[in-house]
Amino acid sequence: MTVKAPALELAAEEMRPLPFRVASNRRETADTVTVELEPVDNPGVTCAPGQFTMVYAYGVGEIPISVAGYADDTIVHTVRAVGAVTTAISHLDVGDHVGVRGPYGVGWPMAEAAGKDVVVAAGGIGLAPLRPVVMHLLDNRDRYGAVSLIYGARTPDDMLYIDELQQWRGRFDIEVEVTVDRAGDDWHGDVGLVTNMLPRITYDPTNSISMVCGPEIMMKVVARELGARGLGPDNVYLSMERNMKCAIGFCGHCQYGPDFVCRDGPIFSYDYVAARMRVTEL
Amino acid sequence: MKLSVALGSTELFAHLTPEEIEFLESIAVERDFAEGAVLFEEDTEAKDFYIVVDGRVGLELVSPRRRPIVIQTLGRGDLVGLSWVFPPYVWSWRARAIDPTRAIAFDATQVRERCGIDQNLSEQMLRLVAREAIRRLHGARAQLLDLYEFPR
Repeated sequence: MTVKAPALELAAEEMRPLPFRVASNRRETADTVTVELEPVDNPGVTCAPGQFTMVYAYGVGEIPISVAGYADDTIVHTVRAVGAVTTAISHLDVGDHVGVRGPYGVGWPMAEAAGKDVVVAAGGIGLAPLRPVVMHLLDNRDRYGAVSLIYGARTPDDMLYIDELQQWRGRFDIEVEVTVDRAGDDWHGDVGLVTNMLPRITYDPTNSISMVCGPEIMMKVVARELGARGLGPDNVYLSMERNMKCAIGFCGHCQYGPDFVCRDGPIFSYDYVAARMRVTEL
Repeated sequence: MKLSVALGSTELFAHLTPEEIEFLESIAVERDFAEGAVLFEEDTEAKDFYIVVDGRVGLELVSPRRRPIVIQTLGRGDLVGLSWVFPPYVWSWRARAIDPTRAIAFDATQVRERCGIDQNLSEQMLRLVAREAIRRLHGARAQLLDLYEFPR
């Protein structure tokens, strides 16, 4: 098959990063930082909750990062240093430049959630892609029914957005339950699996939607427990991140069964991907 | 004493008959625990088990030369205490209120005696404890998997 010239031109345009500057950075945990990026001589990008951008650390490489927030023309990303590019990004100072292209992907089902109870379930760094969901829900609170966030982390030191979690807990229009696997003497919160928090929150399983993000094994456990509690797999949405490279469905690196995660995801309903999640090493 | 929660409406006792609910209500006592108060101690006789009405209870392993290790917290609607069902009826963990906590206490000996003459109650209590034990086993296994660690 030959690729027509207009498609190539489009791809070239899509692949061109725009310059952004680090407006602020904040350390979340020992290996995780949150950076706010502002456009440099360009109009910036418009994001939706659940989308991702490709961030290019000049001279090191490019990686996909979920959008953890956006305001006006700035984008917020939370990055855990696990490789060369994420380490480079985590060491950026205010004023340093990166390239950004995107946003890409299908976001969380915010429109479908209108009028329903919303259960947001996050594990570890999986809270990052759900942060804009929580912010959107709170900014548009009257459009939704009961809103709850359950968040699990390995230890208290691994939790993201501590200040915001405390602010959200202080509100009367969202239930926030946080739990850790292991804790020391100074932790007065819950200990146990994130699914243990489900009986504590308010939602009507017949009129709810859940958005879940974390490692796939965590999402599988949560989706299964939600199902046991009456929330059908068609109303449970997961963020299935894969090895996204081109981000526009050209290269095939992120192929996941019949889908390219970059183009068709990263958000999928559990009923759509449940069978694939039972395939070893897929 | 009238309970603040109708036992028949609780998820844990949803499968019991009205007569069995009436029996449990007749022996149930609502208790308040201040923050830090102990519901039961590790390695002691399993006399009373509880359902949390409000607040939180930590299950703790008491360890020498360090402060207690919380292995799990339980909240509203949760069952506190499983070891009263099988001999030797001894608690494996310490249960301590993390917050000011209200809980309904049930005399385990009376429940066991009633189970001896009420086959349905016996079956339902075993199912209740088995369900809880399985749920906690699954939770413990998932925690062993280090659920929140992204594959590198």
